[in-house]
Amino acid sequence: METAAAFPLRAPPKLVTRLTIVHLVEMILGGILMVFVVLPSIFRFSLVSASFWQIYGRFYVTGLFGTFFYVALTLPLSVVLGFLMGWARVSRIRVFSWPASLYVNVFRGLPPLILVIFASLFGTNLVPQPIMDRFLSGFRRGDIAVGLAAIAIAMHSSAYQAEIFRAGFQSVPKGQQEAAQALGLRPWQGMMHVILPQTFRLSLPPLGNEFAVLIKDTSILAAISGTELVAKSRDLLGILPASGFPIVWIFAVWTVVALTYFVLTYSVTRGLRLLERKFHTPGLESISL
Amino acid sequence: MIRVEDIQKHFGALHVLRGITFDVQKAEAIVIIGPSGSGKSTLLRCINLLVEPDSGKVFIDGVHVNRHGIRHEWVRQQVGMVFQSFNLFTHLTAIENVTLGLTRVKGIPHDQAIEKARKLLARVGLAAKENAYPAELSGGQQQRVAIARALAMDPKAMLFDEPTSALDPEYIREVLDVMAALAREGMTMIVVTHEMGFASNVASRILFMDAGKIIEEGTAEDIFQNPKEDRTRSFVSKILR
Repeated sequence: METAAAFPLRAPPKLVTRLTIVHLVEMILGGILMVFVVLPSIFRFSLVSASFWQIYGRFYVTGLFGTFFYVALTLPLSVVLGFLMGWARVSRIRVFSWPASLYVNVFRGLPPLILVIFASLFGTNLVPQPIMDRFLSGFRRGDIAVGLAAIAIAMHSSAYQAEIFRAGFQSVPKGQQEAAQALGLRPWQGMMHVILPQTFRLSLPPLGNEFAVLIKDTSILAAISGTELVAKSRDLLGILPASGFPIVWIFAVWTVVALTYFVLTYSVTRGLRLLERKFHTPGLESISL
Repeated sequence: MIRVEDIQKHFGALHVLRGITFDVQKAEAIVIIGPSGSGKSTLLRCINLLVEPDSGKVFIDGVHVNRHGIRHEWVRQQVGMVFQSFNLFTHLTAIENVTLGLTRVKGIPHDQAIEKARKLLARVGLAAKENAYPAELSGGQQQRVAIARALAMDPKAMLFDEPTSALDPEYIREVLDVMAALAREGMTMIVVTHEMGFASNVASRILFMDAGKIIEEGTAEDIFQNPKEDRTRSFVSKILR
């Protein structure tokens, strides 16, 4: 006799398909072609030159870790904020929906560069003194300013994510909550087990798009000299004349920066595509960008 | 089993139910007919309190349920509901749709819930479809899963809100057959439908509603062949044609 455990429910969808592998091989081949053939033949420089990395290497690694740090800070923060704001926006309770609308419209309506400038110039004044003393006393004021600027970028992105989640919530038909209640589920159980899983699936594809934007937007922190990839690369160019750096390497530096952002955003969107596939459900597809 | 006493319901300026009173005995199958906008769906929703009546009383198995101190969730476990648009949970397979209430509301262990759900799916003729998502099922199959989902809670009565109105003609039969079988097994049910064949063969009584009131009540023969009220006669002549 078969038991429930021995007779599994529907098998999960295949995550890594032939297409995934084809894509990956294409990207790697394209990258190799670019670095070893296109760049050397057209611009007469190679990205694998030891003397180039000897000078640029330290700047690159510091900058890359900075970028990782700001992505790791802003991405989760923006998802949490965006989700809460999107949820609040569809709330029937005005006290939730109205401030959420204001939040979305303000942070979506201002350029991230302006938000970053404001946050770095005046942000520290907004942090209550007790919090400054208690938690942030070990940091330099400049670093706190950059941290606040990063949070401003997260808030900008969260405004867009709030709209994604709002659309996700509104795409779930009203009958779903009604059916949940008719079964005797409490409203929060209907939310947990019926509405949110569907919202989540519908929001995943557009979220991947927004994540790519956010990762690239962290480069705006260079405007206030945050320690990240663009700023560090620019720093190097400042000391160039003294270091005997061939002029064509300026182009090499920015090519490396561009490729790095590309690899970062590409892997994040691909990773999300895997998630999408894992949770794929017939009837709950949304358009993938 | 179910008693409704002088129910009134307004939606804003709209007076949807204007004093509805009726009784449903145990194992009885009642069919409610009437023009759209007459308040049939609202009446069903008042019984399981998806819609709260403005005034009047609803009794289920002798318990006055629309009063303070009675949890809505408890009431809804007593009466199952089947919707016009099925409302199956899109992200769950057929069997998961049936087990959700069992595990989350009744707190039944997963294995036992699966076992029970399999029996119910077999009962509505869908044992082979347990792993299909709603989008992979026909309308008729979805509605039968919805019936199994409602039955899983062991309700004392079942409410059907135009269960075949959204179906392509070829699927209506399979759903009505399941409902007729339920009625034969002694399930108490209230069905809003315009399926006259079903009303004639299965219903113990038919209520005709118009403009928020019960206009006439009687057996299929009374209502379809010898309606007393003009409004009943004119409605019946339209749907029987």
